[in-house]
Formats: sequence, structure tokens, C-alpha cells
Amino acid sequence: MKPDNYERNHALAAEYVVGTLQGAARQRFERWMMTSSRLRRQVWYWERRLQPFNDSLPEASPPDAVWHAIEQRLFPGTVEPAAPRWWQTLTAWRWSAGIAMLAVFALLVWTPPPTVVTHYVGVVQSQQAEPLWLVNASADHRLTVKAMPPVQPADGGRDYQLWLLPESGAPVSLALLPTGGAQLKVDLSDQQVRQLLQSRSLAISLEPAGGSPTGQPTGPVVYQTRLVQM
Amino acid sequence: MAEANDGLVSALARVAQGDRQAFAGFYQQTHRAVFGMCLHLLRDKDEACDVLQETYIQVWHHAGEYHCDRGSVLNWMMSIGRYRCLDALRRRRHEVDFDSVSSSQVSSAPGPMENAHNQADRQRLSDCLKDLDERYRSSIEMAYFRGFTHQELAVAMGQPLGTTKSRVRRGLDVLRRCLGT
Repeated sequence: MKPDNYERNHALAAEYVVGTLQGAARQRFERWMMTSSRLRRQVWYWERRLQPFNDSLPEASPPDAVWHAIEQRLFPGTVEPAAPRWWQTLTAWRWSAGIAMLAVFALLVWTPPPTVVTHYVGVVQSQQAEPLWLVNASADHRLTVKAMPPVQPADGGRDYQLWLLPESGAPVSLALLPTGGAQLKVDLSDQQVRQLLQSRSLAISLEPAGGSPTGQPTGPVVYQTRLVQM
Repeated sequence: MAEANDGLVSALARVAQGDRQAFAGFYQQTHRAVFGMCLHLLRDKDEACDVLQETYIQVWHHAGEYHCDRGSVLNWMMSIGRYRCLDALRRRRHEVDFDSVSSSQVSSAPGPMENAHNQADRQRLSDCLKDLDERYRSSIEMAYFRGFTHQELAVAMGQPLGTTKSRVRRGLDVLRRCLGT
């Protein structure tokens, strides 16, 4: 980014506000905003100009528990705690507890080969919380993916493709996923292992038969999961 | 209207001084608009509740940083909430329901807070969007209202990624020239 390029900076500010400036570029932009008052003003320009978009959205009422939670966090000990509401309980623990339970489930229903020491486990679920694929990442640079029986081949002859989502940078293709109870082993490179250990994030997209023709996801991301350490 | 914003500015000034009662009143006046926006972007009530909570925590700690160059107080609030929604969307890397995406996501029902804003600004944006090429307008609206990434926009619109990036950039450039300073 060149600080003296007014037009380019305006374009970046616009994409920052709209949301299409992403990842490392967004982080760099935010750091730069901290030191450039001119850039901040360009961002504020776009925030003001696009605000009518937000005005057009219908208002909605959140549960009262949100306000209680805000008070509890800001003024602990001075506010009578409200009884935990369903959304608080679910929101706070849903992700981690769900993954942990499913990871245990994964170990129960599928014991990996005894020669492999499992370090990370993930479960890809359907929207109905049905386990679809069990993923094991072991210490020997091997990723094992087992398709549960409910997983049927995708419509239209398409394939499910597994992607590693690094903390920064583009998704990395790992494999085309098996269906219907089959199992697949993928050997990971050193770099892939490092990226996986850092982000622990995987995604699955629907791609043309044989996989993405571009090396990047071209179809919708239909599932995602996060590995947990066992 | 200006009076409504003046009231919020006063409340925010008291919040900046640690006035909890003013903070409660400020929340009562603004939270429905912010939550509506969060709910629209995230389409998940639990996540929207989380973002709403984080937004007001941030407002309490940074109330003194507001100034009129940021636009109205509600505009400032919405921006804080919106960026947190975008963060949540990126973390989630949500399943994109491309089939249900329409080019316009604007509700026809105005919310009560709408009256607190400058009608001229809204009219100007509306006029400029009408003049904008449909391809540009759809890209910008889907990115803004649904939090779509370039990649997701490309898939949703069935066009190459490079074309999508160009259209967003070009559309915003045309929009800026129309909106003026």
C-alpha cells in the first residue's frame, strides 16, 4: 500500500467498509489506519455514506439476558446475576462442548489403527448434527478421513473436496472425500502439518467431478470443522 | 433527525464519564437497531446476541472516542457492530445459501430509528444505486448485506474471481463519484 495514493486508498477504504477486504490485507489496513488520520477519514466517509443501507434493515429485539450479560461483564459483583438463559448456555459452550462430545464419540465408534497415535480429531456434522466424516490427524503426518454411512455421493456427479484453511493465505486442497463408509488416508507435507496445527480448521466444498479445476474452491463451502487435541 | 442524534451524543458523553444509568438508557434507545442489523447479517440469533454484547462492551470502553466526523452516533454504533459481524462471518466461513440470494436485500419496512437519520443521505444513496449498473449494484449489495467474500460473490454470480473483484472495485468507484464528498 502506498500512503500517498489517494485513489487507491479510497478504494481500499471502500472495500474495508463493505467487507470484501479480507484476511491479511484487512489486518494490514487496520494497522495502517491506526497511524493515518487521512485513511481513517476515508473509512468514515464510506461508513457515513453507506449507513442508509443499515437504516433500511428491520429492527429486532434481543433477549433481556443480553443486557444482563453486558452488565455482568462490565460491573461484576455489583449486579445481581440473572439466571442463565438458554442462548447464553448454548452460545458459550455450544461449540467447544459439541466438538468435545463428538470427538469422544468419534473415538468410541471408530478406533484408529493401533500403530497410529492420534493427536487431533474432528467431526464434520450435517445441519441435523449427524456425523458425516471423522477426521484424525496423527503425529506421523497422516490425515485419515472416514466417511460415515449417511454420506452419499453428491448430486450431479460432483465431488466433496477437503480443504485446509490456514490462518492466513488461500485454502489448501487436501483430498477428494470418500462417501458411504469408505476411508481415506492423506499424507501431509511438513508445511501442511504446520498450517493444520496452527489453524486446525478444515472446510469441505462441492466441486466438479475430479475436484476443483482451479486449485481453489469454486463451489459452495458446505461444511467446516475444527480439530481438537486429544 | 438531528434532535435524536443530539440526545444520543449527550448520553454517550455521560457514558464516557462512567455513568451507568446513561449507559442503560443508551442501550434501550439503540440496541434494537443494532441487533436487527446483526441478525440480518449473521442469520443466527445466538451469534447476533454475542456480537450485540461485544458491541456494547466496546461502546462502554470507547465512548469517549466518538466524534461527529464518524457520522451519527447510531452510524458509529452500527459500524462497530458490523465489523464484529464480519469477523464472526469470516470465522464461521458459513454455508452460503446462494439460491436464496436476491440482488436486493433492502427491507421495505422502515424501522423507528430510521427517522433519526438524514433523509437526504438516504435519498442520495438510493439515487446513486439506481443509476449504478445492475452488475455493480448486485455485487456491492450482496457484499454489504450478506457479508459475502469475493470468492462467494464469484460463485453466487457465476463469474470468475477476477471479474468479481473488478466489478466490486469499479462499482464502488462509480458510487463514490456519484455520492460526492
